[in-house]
Amino acid sequence: MADENAFAELIHEYVAECLPLAERVSDAFLEIERAWHRGGRDAQAIAELKGTLHTLKGNSAMMGLAPMQRLAHLLEDLCALALADEGARGLELAGLLVEGSGLLVDLVRGAAEPGGAAAEAVGGFAGRASEYLAAHPAAPAAALRLDRRRSDRRAEGDAGTIRVDFRRLDTLLEIFGEAMIEQSALPEVHRRLAARVGASPELADLDRVVVALGSTMKRLESALMQTRLLPISTVFGRFNRLVRDLARGEQKQVRLETEGGEMLLDKSILDRLGEPLVHLVTNAVVHGIEREDERLRRGKPPEATVTLRASALADRAVVSISDDGRGLDAARILARAAALGMDLPEGDASAAYAVIFAPGFSTADAVSQVAGRGVGLDAAASAIHALGGAIDVASEPGRGVTFTLTLPLTLAIVRSLIVEVDRERYAVPLSHVAETVRLEPGAVHEINRQGVVMWRGAAIHVADGGEILGSAPERVGGRKYCVVLSAGPRRRAVLVDRLVGHQDVVVKRLDATVGRPDVVSGATILGDGRVACILDAAGIVTQRAVA
Amino acid sequence: MPASRGAEAAHPAVLEFADRLAAAPEAAPAPAPAAQLQLITFRLDAEEFGIPIESVREVTRVGDITRVPRSPRHVRGVTNLRGRILPVLEIRSRLGLEPLDPGPRARIVVVEVQGRLVGLLVDAVAQVQKVAADRVVPPPDEVRSAHTDYLTGVVHLDRRLIILLDLERVLGAGGAPSPAVSAP
Repeated sequence: MADENAFAELIHEYVAECLPLAERVSDAFLEIERAWHRGGRDAQAIAELKGTLHTLKGNSAMMGLAPMQRLAHLLEDLCALALADEGARGLELAGLLVEGSGLLVDLVRGAAEPGGAAAEAVGGFAGRASEYLAAHPAAPAAALRLDRRRSDRRAEGDAGTIRVDFRRLDTLLEIFGEAMIEQSALPEVHRRLAARVGASPELADLDRVVVALGSTMKRLESALMQTRLLPISTVFGRFNRLVRDLARGEQKQVRLETEGGEMLLDKSILDRLGEPLVHLVTNAVVHGIEREDERLRRGKPPEATVTLRASALADRAVVSISDDGRGLDAARILARAAALGMDLPEGDASAAYAVIFAPGFSTADAVSQVAGRGVGLDAAASAIHALGGAIDVASEPGRGVTFTLTLPLTLAIVRSLIVEVDRERYAVPLSHVAETVRLEPGAVHEINRQGVVMWRGAAIHVADGGEILGSAPERVGGRKYCVVLSAGPRRRAVLVDRLVGHQDVVVKRLDATVGRPDVVSGATILGDGRVACILDAAGIVTQRAVA
Repeated sequence: MPASRGAEAAHPAVLEFADRLAAAPEAAPAPAPAAQLQLITFRLDAEEFGIPIESVREVTRVGDITRVPRSPRHVRGVTNLRGRILPVLEIRSRLGLEPLDPGPRARIVVVEVQGRLVGLLVDAVAQVQKVAADRVVPPPDEVRSAHTDYLTGVVHLDRRLIILLDLERVLGAGGAPSPAVSAP
């Protein structure tokens, strides 16, 4: 049992170390394939991969992972051939390198679960690669292998860097969260102490200590968060191959460009960003981009471009996926929405396009379905909402579509407004709070049996907190405060009884046992030890009016 | 002092209970060649229910339980178990009984099922009970109601009838197929 655990631990480390290496190799081969496709014959990039391949082979051998070892070995031989024989540098060889390295990525990623389809695919690939090598006996493989040793040393990393299991960082954050909860109880204790003993020098000392502790905790938090950051290129990197394979299947030429890959994001977010991005990128290649002949007819370059772009915006990260395809078909989307009996949001075109994210919008013929897979934009949208983010779409007919994701930089600690509704407390992430307003009598109007308030010159829908949250629904007008929530361009006001204050809350996930409440994104523990639910502000805003 | 609210663990009854739990597995294998079950039994109304002791992590007093909006009806809410957010199930409504506000003897039985920690709100905890495995019989007609789904069998002991709960079933529905969501 202990051995099994130790082995699992080793495999875990193997994946952590080798997956980025395999991905780097795979990306480089894709790049080479593209260069050779354009008629280039340069092999410098291949020479630079020798060390990496050798490390992969060595690490796989050490773990007894024979299929990976074999693949890395075959790739080495293919590289040796490419270096030795300029005549071999063509699409056939590049195709083998891309295929083999792609398999290697799959195998390494799935190293914890042996067997599987990828392991079987190795056999087929190995057969073809060996045949190809046999047909090109020029490769002085031994010569290549000799001079590898030197480059291996570089893989060890900087002297000042250590690798830490991410779960340890999670534990650290959890403990920090507990400290924060305890800390948040201090002001209340201080207040009560002050009420009992009145002004005293010791109390002033205590006050200073509490304030100093607060600022130290802030610094600790930011230092802790730094340890959890990874560049978003670790996610972008996976898409080179996806785009290539999809484009091939669709018989399109598509180039993937990435910008801002160095932007840092919390690993917990990166881990959950891959899947929605896969939906969106797939959607762009399969549906957004026209066939080559159609592109030529419209005077566009035959090769289409999909761009993944990341940038930081104050305390949010913005990730966009653009294509230069045909754009959304507004007429079809509106027809589909009408057929489904959906209310179309009023406002500009982008608001109307937002219906494509609605659950159930997915159609066989429209924007949102990957042939045969039945996954839609709604899945991507709900994954982004679950991250506390927002998703928006912009489209220019004939010019392309851009999806914009706005994400929190971290999931772990969220600055929140604590509100009270029917004597229950809730945390509302401040990133989604546009404003809080004290309600004047008569401020809530009723239009079409829906509450409306005027806010900054516009009428926005208002919902009663008790109604949304299923506590005693109060007659609209009985509550004292109005919280204006925002998600992207959309707004919605929620009526609450009391604004308790601002607080950094440690986000904890709710166990699946409590179902999947669509208005709650998690829970936190407040200073008094009670649990408060965290409202899914984006979900509440985008939800259609509660009937 | 509000900070102490979460510290139910210090309660002597709980500590004593924890000791019993810790001692139990050692005592079990030695003298009993015949297969034995150890049950934690608890009361809901007049009935006594039992669950295997191996599933029980601890028993705590009922602290503040926070309602979770739009959760299934059998979910009472969530509570703070030493910094951990524990879902608390209203096992009464699972078994077709009317929900009840917890009285002074009510407890939360914290069970671990398939790696998940879940609290069951019960009226009162009775005891730890050893029974021979072969005394478990299928539920008789009088308890074979619409909720037999959640029962694995019953044990007759003197005048007592202990109904064995199938924890995985009780927790299993997790909300997925349950249409009973409060508020439309």
